[in-house]
Amino acid sequence: MAIATLTLEDLPVAAEARVADVIGDDAVAIRLLEMGLTPGVVVRVMGRAPFGDPLELQIRGYRLSIRRAEAARVTLASD
Amino acid sequence: MEKPASGPDPARLTVALLGNPNTGKSTLFSALAGIPTRVGNYPGVTVEEKLGRFSHRARQIDLIDLPGTYSLAPQGPDERVAVDVLHGRLAGVPRPEVVVVVADATNLERNLFLATQATELGLPLVVALTLCDIGRRRGTAIDTELLAERLGCPVIALATPSGEGLAELRDAIVAGPAAGPPAPLGLEGAAPEDSRPAAARDAIRRYALIERLLDGVVRRAPAAKPLPEDRIDRLLTHKLWGTLVFAAVMLVVFSSIFWLAAPLMDLISGGMEWLSARVSDLLPPGAIRDLVVDGVLAGIGGVVVFVPQIALLFLLIAVLEGCGYLARAAYLMDRLLVGVGLSGKSFIPLLSSFACAIPGIMAARTIENRRDRLLTILVAPLMSCSARLPVYLLLTGAFVPDVAVGVAWLRLPAVVLTGMYGLGVVVAAAVAWLLSRTFFRGPPQPFVMELPSWRWPQAAVVLERAREAVWSFLQNAGTLILAVSVVVWALSNYPRNEVRIEADIEAQQTQLADRLTDAALPPAERAELSLEVASLETPEGRAAARLAAIQRGSLLGKTGRFVEPLVRPLGWDWRIGCAAIASFPAREVVLGTLAVLYNLPAEEAEGTALERRLKAARWDGTGRPVFTLPVALSIMVFFALCAQCASTLVVIGRETGSWVWPVVTFTYMTVLAWLGAFATYQLGTWLGW
Repeated sequence: MAIATLTLEDLPVAAEARVADVIGDDAVAIRLLEMGLTPGVVVRVMGRAPFGDPLELQIRGYRLSIRRAEAARVTLASD
Repeated sequence: MEKPASGPDPARLTVALLGNPNTGKSTLFSALAGIPTRVGNYPGVTVEEKLGRFSHRARQIDLIDLPGTYSLAPQGPDERVAVDVLHGRLAGVPRPEVVVVVADATNLERNLFLATQATELGLPLVVALTLCDIGRRRGTAIDTELLAERLGCPVIALATPSGEGLAELRDAIVAGPAAGPPAPLGLEGAAPEDSRPAAARDAIRRYALIERLLDGVVRRAPAAKPLPEDRIDRLLTHKLWGTLVFAAVMLVVFSSIFWLAAPLMDLISGGMEWLSARVSDLLPPGAIRDLVVDGVLAGIGGVVVFVPQIALLFLLIAVLEGCGYLARAAYLMDRLLVGVGLSGKSFIPLLSSFACAIPGIMAARTIENRRDRLLTILVAPLMSCSARLPVYLLLTGAFVPDVAVGVAWLRLPAVVLTGMYGLGVVVAAAVAWLLSRTFFRGPPQPFVMELPSWRWPQAAVVLERAREAVWSFLQNAGTLILAVSVVVWALSNYPRNEVRIEADIEAQQTQLADRLTDAALPPAERAELSLEVASLETPEGRAAARLAAIQRGSLLGKTGRFVEPLVRPLGWDWRIGCAAIASFPAREVVLGTLAVLYNLPAEEAEGTALERRLKAARWDGTGRPVFTLPVALSIMVFFALCAQCASTLVVIGRETGSWVWPVVTFTYMTVLAWLGAFATYQLGTWLGW
């Protein structure tokens, strides 16, 4: 297990990473999983909106936008 | 909705269209069934119900367009309705016999999430792969036969402009009941730790299943060169160009409903006036003619006049939605609005409300999240709409001195006018912020939004969207707005008492004569007063004075006098109070009412005659002017914040499906308007303006 957990919020634009997990078990966590942010999937940050929030992601061949608060709940694998 | 027949009718088939948002579901609906036979709400919820009908192979097919949904583990009311319909749990809606899952071929992995869930419904299934033409151009080949074999149901490739696959789809739908439901797929694989909720565990295992299902089904060949839509996409997401395009698009949206709609609205108003004149000629003078012309026809005109703005706004929204830009606009503006408790999707409805709150509130239909939608609807009427502009212009023109503020080119009237627009925005932000932290508090709202790739909007879908918006406005809100206008017309014209009306005019004449005897009267005012006295001798002046007396003696006029103690702290006399109350049908009416109350024909409401008359107005029995700078500002602030627009309130009621919200809107806005006007007048007087 990684010592300092990196989350999707920390990922710079144009960087790619593998999802480790989605923290929490509320409606937000379920929706993120349902939209395809499941453990093991590769996600790429395509950009950020003018005020730095929300993020634009590329995942499973489509573009998804989530807010930074939600991105902070997606932990990344350390590979 | 017709009652479901007892037992399946062999000549009919109920089919549901299920799919993610932005999958071309509406396009497919139009292609299959044409114009919907019914658009409305499901019983008890404000979730849109859309039904269509077509026949194929001697079967009549009733098509239910379910709300766009990402998952059958429902989160919002829209998704719950979709699930309830699919299980036949919604009263009055027959359980579908066949389900068509609409899946976007360019985004198959995510779309199969819902499709695989649908295989567990126990209903015959057909998967319709939309946007296959775009997929192929991108170099994606989908082996539909292999996918059909693995899913256990027909998979049909569709391409919209060519109509490819439509005939096959119709055949598959009709063959559905005979084919039966697909065999269960079985969510195997390593079950993740059990502490997660079932829906989370299900999602993880389902994506693992989808990866296995798609293995060997999708083959990607790298596209030879960047496609036009990809280049458009890159431009739209560019930091500089993307922002400029956004500003330009919003400018087009705003100006089209602010200016482009104006000639059409003038045409409608002109047509209604012509019609009123013709009807006036036909009917004998009297109460019936007044009711038909001033009540009913004026009310119809007041409804139809909104149609150009609604049609234009929904055409533009449908184009933006069709090409995938609506989601991108929400993405760009989200940060700005999330701080006050709204979301990026509130931007277009709020922007539109600067032209008119009615299309703006209707545009809030594009906000899927209920809380955000309701908050947007509640604050939208605070944006300074075009109906407030004449009020601002008249009062600033007449009472705000044209002096420089700091620098020579910055004039006070311009500052005041800008301030009125700014006031609406600031108050709306504050109200939204406060509500989102008090009554609308709840668990965090997920903002998980797909950003569809660029595609060309479909003309049929765009036109249908605008037609549907206009139709629902006329049908649902229009009739009620008409009823309200007739009632308000009656309240401001009845009861009438001829003896009192004559006495009222006499009293005015005496009062004017009294004031003329004052030797200290400034010459300008003396001239205006003499003019007023002279006009009372002419038949036209007498008629205008009669109208004013009727208005004052009516129920609304009486209410105006009754509430005088309430408006005194705002610096208003009873006439202003009357005008404010009588402007309940629509804000712009206030000038007409003021004109009438000051014995001018209503047509002079925007002329300099009203300006002069207001300047000469005095408190009853004194020489103190009614209209001073603090009073003018207090009226403007009141009209900036009040909800004196019956049509807006009716539309809020219709769009939220509850009469609680118009009442809430009216109450909070009127309280804010009063407080704002009070603070303005008291501060202005204290500062000695």
